Amino acid sequence: MTDTKHAVRGGPRLATPPRTSRARRSGRARLTPKLGRFALFALPGLVAYGLFVLLPILMTGYYSFTNRNPFNPPTEFVGFRNYVTLAGDPEFLQALTNTVIITLIVTVLANVGGLLIALLLDRPSKLYVALRGVFFTPVVLSSVVISVIWRAVLTDDGLLNSALRGLGVESPPGWLSDPDLALYSIAWIITWQMLGFCVVVYLAGLQGVPRELQEAAAIDGAGGLTRFRNVTWPMLAPALTINTVMLLITGFKAYDQIQVITNGGPGTGATATMAFQVVKEAFVGNRIGYSSALAAVMLALVAGVSVVVLRVLQRREVTQ
Amino acid sequence: MGTQEPADTPASSGAAAAEVELSFLVFETPNLNSAFWDAAIARATAKVPGVKIKKLVTPNVDRTAYAKQLDASGNLPDILQSVNPAGFAEAGKLAPFTPEELANFTAPTAGAIDGKVYQLPYNTQVIPVVYYNKDQFSKAGIAETPKTYQELLDASAKLKRAGLTAMIVSGGGADTWADMYPLTGTVATDVYKKTPDWLVKRRAGEVKFSDPDFVKAAGKIADLAKNGYIDKTGLSRSYADGEQAFRDGKGAMYPMGSWFATSADNNKPGFEIGAFPWPSDDGSPVTPTFTGGGTLVSSSAKNVDLAKKWALAFDEDKENNDAFVKADGSIPAIKGYVPPADMGPVYQATVAIYDQGMKDGSITNAFSQEAGDASLPPGLADATALAVQDLITGKKTAEEFAAYLDEQYAKATQ
Amino acid sequence: MIDARTHAWLRPLVAIFVGAAFFLPLYLMLVNVFKPGDEILPSPASLPLPPTLENISGVFAREDNLFTFGLINSIAVTALSITILTVLSAMLGHYLARSTRLFSKLLLVVLLCGLMIPIPVILSPMTSVLKAFDLMATLQGLVLVNVGYYVPFGVLLFMGFVKSVPRELEEAAELDGASKIRVFWQVVFPLLRPASASVLIFLGVWIWNDFLTPLIVLGPDSGTTVTVGVYRAIGQYESDFGDLFAFMFLATLPILIFYLALQKNFVKGLTGGAVKG
Repeated sequence: MTDTKHAVRGGPRLATPPRTSRARRSGRARLTPKLGRFALFALPGLVAYGLFVLLPILMTGYYSFTNRNPFNPPTEFVGFRNYVTLAGDPEFLQALTNTVIITLIVTVLANVGGLLIALLLDRPSKLYVALRGVFFTPVVLSSVVISVIWRAVLTDDGLLNSALRGLGVESPPGWLSDPDLALYSIAWIITWQMLGFCVVVYLAGLQGVPRELQEAAAIDGAGGLTRFRNVTWPMLAPALTINTVMLLITGFKAYDQIQVITNGGPGTGATATMAFQVVKEAFVGNRIGYSSALAAVMLALVAGVSVVVLRVLQRREVTQ
Repeated sequence: MGTQEPADTPASSGAAAAEVELSFLVFETPNLNSAFWDAAIARATAKVPGVKIKKLVTPNVDRTAYAKQLDASGNLPDILQSVNPAGFAEAGKLAPFTPEELANFTAPTAGAIDGKVYQLPYNTQVIPVVYYNKDQFSKAGIAETPKTYQELLDASAKLKRAGLTAMIVSGGGADTWADMYPLTGTVATDVYKKTPDWLVKRRAGEVKFSDPDFVKAAGKIADLAKNGYIDKTGLSRSYADGEQAFRDGKGAMYPMGSWFATSADNNKPGFEIGAFPWPSDDGSPVTPTFTGGGTLVSSSAKNVDLAKKWALAFDEDKENNDAFVKADGSIPAIKGYVPPADMGPVYQATVAIYDQGMKDGSITNAFSQEAGDASLPPGLADATALAVQDLITGKKTAEEFAAYLDEQYAKATQ
Repeated sequence: MIDARTHAWLRPLVAIFVGAAFFLPLYLMLVNVFKPGDEILPSPASLPLPPTLENISGVFAREDNLFTFGLINSIAVTALSITILTVLSAMLGHYLARSTRLFSKLLLVVLLCGLMIPIPVILSPMTSVLKAFDLMATLQGLVLVNVGYYVPFGVLLFMGFVKSVPRELEEAAELDGASKIRVFWQVVFPLLRPASASVLIFLGVWIWNDFLTPLIVLGPDSGTTVTVGVYRAIGQYESDFGDLFAFMFLATLPILIFYLALQKNFVKGLTGGAVKG
């Protein structure tokens, strides 16, 4: 970073000694002002990103056209074969469906739950401040820790079912062992982890709603629900955007909980997400080429979602 | 080389002039804990001058997956314990042991890949043995242990009538592999007994999973689950939770690898545990076993010869094997080895099953546990274990299960 | 929505009930940290009376020092990563917020894509890059990977916030002859404090809690972080929840304290650019 700084500020090609008057220096910087600013402000971050994220993505893209398998050399170029296989791979389609289901549940549930709890806690007293802390704690915890706790709660002879049996339920559901339920249990765990985040963001939004506006609406005779819809809700639009983006990201990336709690099961792929499938193909099946094609498809979906999200962000900025 | 006597040199011999530091990847379990490995490493190191061992620990029991990850990042350790050599060996990443080096092993060709042995065949495991709760058997009025498969079903029915769960099968969390044991039993009795080299034939394409024999073996598991003899609850239990459930009396039978024996002896539950082999239809003996599982040496180790010497010292050391026997219930496959005399009753019963199998020549492979030429392609054992869950929950019929395995087999070998 | 005047007692009641239900799983971990191991399975939900420190001291007494060594690594990696990340993403965020060119917009899209990439997907090629620079199995390597991976999030937060800083302020300072970099550090950056707090907290929490990257990048022989330690402890302790929960509790404590110390600033930073509050 220091090197860049020197190159821009007092590079060797500029003969004038660097410690001249400020006015002159800024004048000189105008020689290549755009490039200089870029090198100084943008480049360091971009280099790190490019090297450790972008380059690996490109490598993944390249591998996806090969049959790369470190345990079965040589690596050969196979064109689109991996992609063709992918299109007819039921495991991939299930992983895609699972990922979409998790993302949708997490996004909707945490948003709605977060908003309701934020409305509940939107009072200045100590009790509500303390409760905010309670809801936010899981956000600070590692998903490994959270997975271990919830596994202890949700296994068939876990704490929840022990309680249910105590209440007289004879055969409580297999939250993690029933293939039709396990995915929803995972989605619930992620929702629980993210709820506090949404609460805090909505609370910040609610504090930005001017009291006068609320009162004015009340005087006009608007009921609670109408007041919320016409006054509060529009003011919460930015908070909604932030929460939605964060939840989409979290849902799409879901991996840790599956790795620790279900290993993709029960059964064949009941809870396998795309990220999980990518790792499984690469490190269990050794099929780096195929796994890369899966990753590339995932990245394409990610890019699509990102563009849409950016649109929304920018539109919001315009209306602000 | 290969002395069976306890090392008489003190463990802390003076450091040699030029020491080679070799990394050694081990995994920790409640039985094989950190202190166990440290002591075992010290004993082997005392026998091989010039070696210093750096112990590395895998993050979880799945050491093969971790070894692959390490290898992918160029960090394959010099010496590895109980990693599945499949793939590593074919890619030339492991150093083979010569027949001379393997002279002290009772099964020197076990797990060979293209005729070469990459993993020391240091112990034998019977997979599965059916461990059972004697209290619950007598409560349900079962006088004798089942000799035929029908008797196993009758016993299960009696247990069910007595309000007991017949069989504990776990496999939750990351421990999906733990649900394999009943199937390993039925594949031995219904497939391998008739066709011992079935997986070699499968590799050659001469047989398929969807052939009647294999479908029948899978169908037995589906039926056990459908009749409520295998409790679906187990699918949310980790391996350790499953063992705990058996100890807590939540099920009468626990089909498990022979390593459970010492765990049962060391930490006795409130009832007596018996053991019998997985029964075949006509009651003729079948004893599925796996021999191998020992130490491996990377072909890029800092000093391959020294690393191999150390690995041999580690696996042949009498005290180390005693420790493995006591901690992990292994049946060492070293010539002349005699287990300690003070082993508990469950271990004795387990070894008796193995000895009987050797006597009547009923030893077969243990399905999905195989290493070497007769093994499943990479990833297929995991896929099978996941599919067994579908079999148990009823999501897949035996036919669908078999078709799925054929499909996965094609994918894994394409 | 609930009419506060007629049901003044209802809101705190509902709030406490919902909060308690939500907290239940955490309560279960917390009480069992201070309960003897053999009492956990028979009575998991009871209060730990009398409390024991057995489990806690057991974690410190481990022969392999899994916790103590992991703690040192975790602190070093987290502190270095978030410091560098704050500086780099503040500058990059500022640049992108002020630039109006198409090129910058494109850069932003590329960066935002990075937000949604799960680490496992790029981990394997990532290690190849690290290997090429001879950075595998080093703390520096792990820090650099963290910086690259989390820069998009930092940029997103800072960008939103920079827009709330009037451009005129910078232009005035520049007219006074201050260099761009001085203007940024002396005028703009101090105004971004809430955003910095959010970046520090969020990335601190994420980096502290990440287990896959350190697991692979550090490898087994250059130590682990506390979170990798938790992952490792799951397998070792198996059913021994007392020790496991104690390990998880201790691994969480430092980051929880860090969060509590910074929390006042951070909500504002998180929503600063977007929610005017």
